[in-house]
Amino acid sequence: MSATDRTATPVQGTDDAETPMLRIRDLAVTFRTDDGPVEAVRGIDLDVRRGEVLALVGESGSGKSVTAMAVLSLLPATAKRTGSIELDSRELTSLTEAELNGVRGKEISMVFQEPMTALNPSMRIGDQIAEALLNHGVGTKQEAARRAVELLARVGIPEPERRAAGYAHEMSGGQRQRVVIAIALACEPKLIIADEPTTALDVTVQAEILDLIRELAHSSGTSFLLVTHNMGVVADIADRVAVMYRGEMVEHGTAMQVLREPNADYTKRLLDAVPRLPEGGETVPPAGEPDSTGPGGVALPVPVLSLRESSVTYRKAGKSFTALDQVSIDIAAGEILGLVGESGSGKSTLGKVALGLAPTSGGELRLFGEKLGRGGLRGRAERRLRGRVGAIFQDPGSSLDPRTTVGEAIAEPLVVHRAVRPMSGRDRAARVRELLEAVELPASYASRFPHELSGGQRQRIGLARAIALEPELIIADEPTSALDVSVQAAVLRVLRELQERMDFACLFISHDLAVVHEFSHRVAVMHEGRIVELGATDDVLLRPQHPYSQRLLASVPVPDPVAQRERRVARLAARSAA
Amino acid sequence: MVEAARTAVRTASGGAGILRFLGRRLVQGVIVILIVTLIVFALLHLAMPQGPAQGILGMQATQEQIDAFNRANGFDRPLWQQYFTFLSQIAVGDLGDSFKLNRPVADAIGQRLPKTLVLALISMVVALIVAIPMGIYQAVRRGKTGDYVFTTMNFIIYSTPSFFLGLVLVIVFAQWLHLVPALAPQGDTVAQVLAKPAGLVLPVATAALGIIATISRYMRSATIDNLSEDYVRTARAKGTPMPVVIRRHVVRNSLTPVIAMLGYYLPVMFGGMIVVESLFNYPGMGLLFWTSAQTGDYPVLLGCVLVIAVATVVGSILADLVQALLNPRTRGELA
Repeated sequence: MSATDRTATPVQGTDDAETPMLRIRDLAVTFRTDDGPVEAVRGIDLDVRRGEVLALVGESGSGKSVTAMAVLSLLPATAKRTGSIELDSRELTSLTEAELNGVRGKEISMVFQEPMTALNPSMRIGDQIAEALLNHGVGTKQEAARRAVELLARVGIPEPERRAAGYAHEMSGGQRQRVVIAIALACEPKLIIADEPTTALDVTVQAEILDLIRELAHSSGTSFLLVTHNMGVVADIADRVAVMYRGEMVEHGTAMQVLREPNADYTKRLLDAVPRLPEGGETVPPAGEPDSTGPGGVALPVPVLSLRESSVTYRKAGKSFTALDQVSIDIAAGEILGLVGESGSGKSTLGKVALGLAPTSGGELRLFGEKLGRGGLRGRAERRLRGRVGAIFQDPGSSLDPRTTVGEAIAEPLVVHRAVRPMSGRDRAARVRELLEAVELPASYASRFPHELSGGQRQRIGLARAIALEPELIIADEPTSALDVSVQAAVLRVLRELQERMDFACLFISHDLAVVHEFSHRVAVMHEGRIVELGATDDVLLRPQHPYSQRLLASVPVPDPVAQRERRVARLAARSAA
Repeated sequence: MVEAARTAVRTASGGAGILRFLGRRLVQGVIVILIVTLIVFALLHLAMPQGPAQGILGMQATQEQIDAFNRANGFDRPLWQQYFTFLSQIAVGDLGDSFKLNRPVADAIGQRLPKTLVLALISMVVALIVAIPMGIYQAVRRGKTGDYVFTTMNFIIYSTPSFFLGLVLVIVFAQWLHLVPALAPQGDTVAQVLAKPAGLVLPVATAALGIIATISRYMRSATIDNLSEDYVRTARAKGTPMPVVIRRHVVRNSLTPVIAMLGYYLPVMFGGMIVVESLFNYPGMGLLFWTSAQTGDYPVLLGCVLVIAVATVVGSILADLVQALLNPRTRGELA
């Protein structure tokens, strides 16, 4: 497609602009809960014009998804909705369920966040698309089946005939999201509401899906209401932006105005918290230099972690799958090594190997210079060595036992390793208080349960637990990926301060290149189980050499409409050249 | 189910995978059956350290008579020899001779088993016809009056022992209302039993009620799980009316675990049949098991247990197979 520039053109007062296609006035949604009513949306106004992409942005709990679901009355039964929603001057809130079914999929359709679960696992792909047509009496069964194949081709699915006869599990996440978009497109609706359509996808896939949405909006004049938390996505695709915070609309305007000259304080703070990669050339010195390791990253003679040609192979459905393919890597004492890659690249597997949670099928693993496993330390000696390694995981919600208090969770590693470091119960309690303070939480939190804490607080507990034994190496696997950007910024700051103070080495695994850039001394890029590029942070992330690293970096949208337009043009040019 | 059949046919192209899967399960199953025979054999001999001689010859039998009996039947040999004799006999379909019925055990079971299977099958079909719609209805009306009424009913039935439930049914429908006979139809063949369907009503009802209570709970929770799946939201967002969403999307995905569960339910049904058959004097294997247990006819008991063990293994293999075939995701794993 041509590099159509939608974002740079401010929406002018065309004929249609005066009468918005979707007109939301004073929309409020209240949920009935055990703890009393919760106001998720508090009287917002929103207009979507014909043919535009309107981004509705905000952090979790802002009410943006609830607003999206409210349009088609897809809210759960516990929700109460007031206000007015008009589609082409037709009030939607007073429609009966049967009348709504005439609107759903026909005039307004939806694309959801989780492509992995959004499709019926036991129904053929083609049938699921055809259903949308047949619901609205478009054609016969045969015509609908044929149209389903056409739609699959339209959204860029190769071999559409074969795919139409297949099932969802045979497809990747990106392909499934294309199918969901095909379903949404089936009846050529006026408006498609897309709720975080690319959040669950890798950046390279995200870029492709955004290209598809842009092309659809341009060629068919479909309007999009795009719900997202990702400012880069907004910059890439949105004509206008509406910012929500705690159920209220704090700002709206063109993408250019909101992202470059935000008015509301909240928007400014939100944009400030978004980690960004500097433009090529400009560099920022990383936090605390590792011990006698230059930015060039020549590792010390005795690295804390050393992998030599380590492989991990899984057997799945009778076929073997190489998650890690002869990877060699060293982490020096006090060094932060960023590990980036997309899902399935093997980066989490590498973290598991370092923690002794994945069996390697060859190669050598050394911790603090000692060889582990076959021909090396085993049993108690191995466990003692592993006690010097801490871990932080992605999901702060599920990596804490819901029946254990925060204090018990933090004390657990101290109890497990009591043989190595004997400690009285009182000392342990004191240590827990100290650790809580280290992660900037009040000591009184020790008696709380995980469900009483927010996601960011829970991740700080994870952090406190990881540093309890004063580890020399911490494996952090996507430690902030489940958090909102403002919370992520705070957690990263705590982690960085702790690292400077305690000087532990860290394997920092993340798909967020900007976060890795801020945090790491050296960066390794993983692709299909191999490390394709390894070097100093700025070299890898600002001047990537390997084609995959280049493609990965080009796919990350930056939260600035002008810069993102240039990046997009460059990326599409590179793709058409290739 | 047409869909499932189509699937099964299509998957047959990867038949080698299914055969390997079945082969592995069969080997596991044979091991399980061997262990079961060993345990039952050991238990019975622990219960009767003298062997079955006393039970068969009567309390008046002299020690000489008992010794002669044990010699004649090989009960004086070491236990492991007796066990291997038993094993080599069942390998050729010989389950030994009954002490009380004066006929081979295989004959006795062969005559009774089809009748039990017919009773179990009818009960299961009746139960499914009631339980599946009930479970779906409860899931859709979750937390409303209809759900609570059926839940309460199910828990009462579930917590009532089936012999008591059967007795209540007999008193109400046979003795008070005189609608149906209290006694099951008698006869040697399945046809003879089926000739008098009125007599089957109470045994079927007694067996089915318990199954309904269990399966409707499973169906309810499977449906509730599926109703909260994302694909339901996708289906609704394309304008599919809710009843159609349930019929076309939810029911099929909810049925898969329930159908698979039926295979595991088979041995439970055999246990239930012992109670139902002895209550209504239905001439099936359950009644045979019950009378043999009372008279100490242990070749028959061991034969029945073996049949139940085989049924358990076959049921669980079928359950796995059906589940794997119904679910497009596991279909690939068969290969």
